[in-house]
Amino acid sequence: MAVASVTQAGIIGGHHAEPDQLYVETRELRVQGFLLFMVSDLVLFSSFIFAYLYLRSSGQGWPPPGAPKLDLALAAINSVVLFGSGATMHFALENWKHEKFMKFAGWIVATICLGALFLSGQIIEYAKLAVGWGTSGIFGTAFFTLTGMHGFHVFCGIIYLTILLLQCVHGKYTFQKYTGLTLGTLYWHFVDVIWVVLFSIFYLL
Amino acid sequence: MPMNEVVAHAERALAVFFGIIVFFVAAIALKNDWKARGVENQVFKMMLALLALGAILAILAAFNLLAGKGVEV
Amino acid sequence: MAVAAVHSGGIADHIHPEPQGFIRRYVFSLDHKIIGIQYIITSGIFLFLAGALAEMMRVQLMKANGGFMTPDTFNQVFTMHGSTMVWFMIIPLMTGGFGNLVMPIQIGARDVAFPWLNMIAFWIFPVAGLMLYASFLMGAPAAGWTEYPPMSLQGQAGTSMWCAAVFLVGVGSTMTGINFLVTILKMRAPGMTFTRMPLFVWGQFVTAPLLMIATTALGAALAALFIQREFGVPFFDPTKGGSPLLWQHMFWFYSHPAVYIMILPAFGILSEVIPTFARKPIFGYKMIAFSSCAIAILGFMVWAHHMFTSGMAPALQLPFMVLTMLIAIPTGVKIFSWTTTLFGGVLKFSTAMLYAVGFIALFTIGGVTGVFLAAVPFDLHAHGTYFIVAHFHYVIAGGSVMGALAGLYFWYPKMTGRLMDERLGKWSFWLYMIGMNGTFLPMHWLGLWGMPRRIAVYDPQFQTWNQIESAFSFVMTASIILTVINALVSMKYGKRSGPNPWGARTLEWMIPSPMPYYNFKHIPSVFSTPYDFGEPLPYRGLEEELTPTPPPVAAAH
Repeated sequence: MAVASVTQAGIIGGHHAEPDQLYVETRELRVQGFLLFMVSDLVLFSSFIFAYLYLRSSGQGWPPPGAPKLDLALAAINSVVLFGSGATMHFALENWKHEKFMKFAGWIVATICLGALFLSGQIIEYAKLAVGWGTSGIFGTAFFTLTGMHGFHVFCGIIYLTILLLQCVHGKYTFQKYTGLTLGTLYWHFVDVIWVVLFSIFYLL
Repeated sequence: MPMNEVVAHAERALAVFFGIIVFFVAAIALKNDWKARGVENQVFKMMLALLALGAILAILAAFNLLAGKGVEV
Repeated sequence: MAVAAVHSGGIADHIHPEPQGFIRRYVFSLDHKIIGIQYIITSGIFLFLAGALAEMMRVQLMKANGGFMTPDTFNQVFTMHGSTMVWFMIIPLMTGGFGNLVMPIQIGARDVAFPWLNMIAFWIFPVAGLMLYASFLMGAPAAGWTEYPPMSLQGQAGTSMWCAAVFLVGVGSTMTGINFLVTILKMRAPGMTFTRMPLFVWGQFVTAPLLMIATTALGAALAALFIQREFGVPFFDPTKGGSPLLWQHMFWFYSHPAVYIMILPAFGILSEVIPTFARKPIFGYKMIAFSSCAIAILGFMVWAHHMFTSGMAPALQLPFMVLTMLIAIPTGVKIFSWTTTLFGGVLKFSTAMLYAVGFIALFTIGGVTGVFLAAVPFDLHAHGTYFIVAHFHYVIAGGSVMGALAGLYFWYPKMTGRLMDERLGKWSFWLYMIGMNGTFLPMHWLGLWGMPRRIAVYDPQFQTWNQIESAFSFVMTASIILTVINALVSMKYGKRSGPNPWGARTLEWMIPSPMPYYNFKHIPSVFSTPYDFGEPLPYRGLEEELTPTPPPVAAAH
């Protein structure tokens, strides 16, 4: 029937000049859905950020008695490492769009490495603080919960990017159709932006 | 100088150096993509802008120009 | 074939072959209609469980001093009753149930945006419910569905299970919210602008962001409570720098929008049922749509009206009082619009219409007591008493549940191809009106006289009215049982309905009953709202829907 043949022509990428409408519509849905997921993730972080600011303003002041001091120098370089991974991810996507596979792969590996370096920095910081999550009053309550949640998001992001890289190697995405890469980049930037907020409220406030 | 002070100085220096690079990468990317349309591109632009802001904050922190109450300077 | 050219190659053109096998068709189905029915049935099971818990309470409360339950057991019973009704009955029924069943068809789509997400979201629901009821095995939570610390930090291992179960069901809710929002934004049929959408779709559209945003905030609160209970992290412990008030803020920031999640879909159902059975265009379509938006937005700004007696900063009381009273305005707009729709209409009192009209009366009563409670001086007296119990049961049992029952009688033919029995329906309606009012009306004065809520034994001066309430509660239960029997028996013996037994005008009535898996053979175009009774139908392209021609199934790829 006419309908079925038009669909098949679209999938085969046939001789028609019209865009592959199924792909375009599906991409729209996926991007919108992912953006909304990011909104809900933002609400999750915002709830805990509210809890931290509420507790900080309604009690013993900050830092609470007996709490360790945070290392600003370490956090500064660690933040730049994470922001740098945002830059490398941007380059990765740009290279993909310009059909430069090897450069793309290089930049995405750099992103993953920088992400892992950031997590190592966090672990070093936690070790230096040497206090427990539940035994340091509202310091641990706020700091470890929020940075821990963020670190978990970075960890998931590293896994996500690794899977994306493997999918690209296996040819799942083409240089015209790469919705998954776009979503991965969005997620990685999101994780970066959350860190801008957390860095500000714990180290600069 | 004790070791941890050396390390702290190194961390700050690296933060400033790479922070400046990241700031310019983000700012130039933002300038190049300024005219892009569509919801996800607006989101990208916002996030690049915040990335640039983050780099600035990290640089200011490295110079101790911005430091919070609970922080060891 | 002008219609096909508009959509050629896109999602709307894709009719996949029908799924085969019992598991793919009815268990792990991707079809929004089947998923909707699964939600409705599962919510029905939780209605039964929560209702049994309620009757246990009413039996206990027949005696002022010493029923058959210890106070600790009683506390677990009311906690589980509330938790089940809110998170495992009314919200899944209204959003996952009726939303899934009807909304995609009403916008002229073949399914929701993410059918796999839809299926996963559904299956989370019974698993989370099993987790919740497993808490009975370890000491069910006993601090009320609101679980305020410090009480929620003590004993009762089941409280941690409660945190996990409600968190999980919330994840499913968030997925549904995202799914519905993208579906409504991106998959409406050609010509269906926002101002031509059915009002039930508007209801789901404004509820979806609440599901997405508010539920995640609850998840954070539940996670914090769980972390404190299990890892000692002192969010809510004032001796270690935490604050019990923090829980209340985090919990109510979600739970107030939650009540709008419970009612906005019911408002949508009313807006479909009333014009259909008054055979009149709905009065004030745009006002109803915009007032729904206003309610959803304002709903995020009023949470602390649950906290007037909590010891929070007194300066916060006035703004929250004013904003809460403001919500009465868009709500009132809707009540007036529906009442005006009835006026001058040719009214047909089918069971669905009876429940809808009953909703208008009882929800208005609940809404009015809500305005009383918004006033801080009044709330200081009524907080924690049976007056509150009366208020929210009028808006939920007299509002949401009646809306759901109206929806059930209304859309049953689309699910099954048969009509529910009207005589049994009328019996169930009147039993519900008598039972519900008899149970909850006296709670208003009991509360004002000083009877506190959430207590297993009480001052004997209140006993007579409690006995009256308990007697009427059995009438209400009988009504629900009658509805369930009606639904089950009519599946086999009900009169066949045909595609449009009520003469309604939204798109689901333009396709056969029961509804085919592909919804539409050809996606229609829409060129007006569906409420202009007397005008020709505002659709193009539906000529083949009710004929026996086979649907144009795309070749498998």
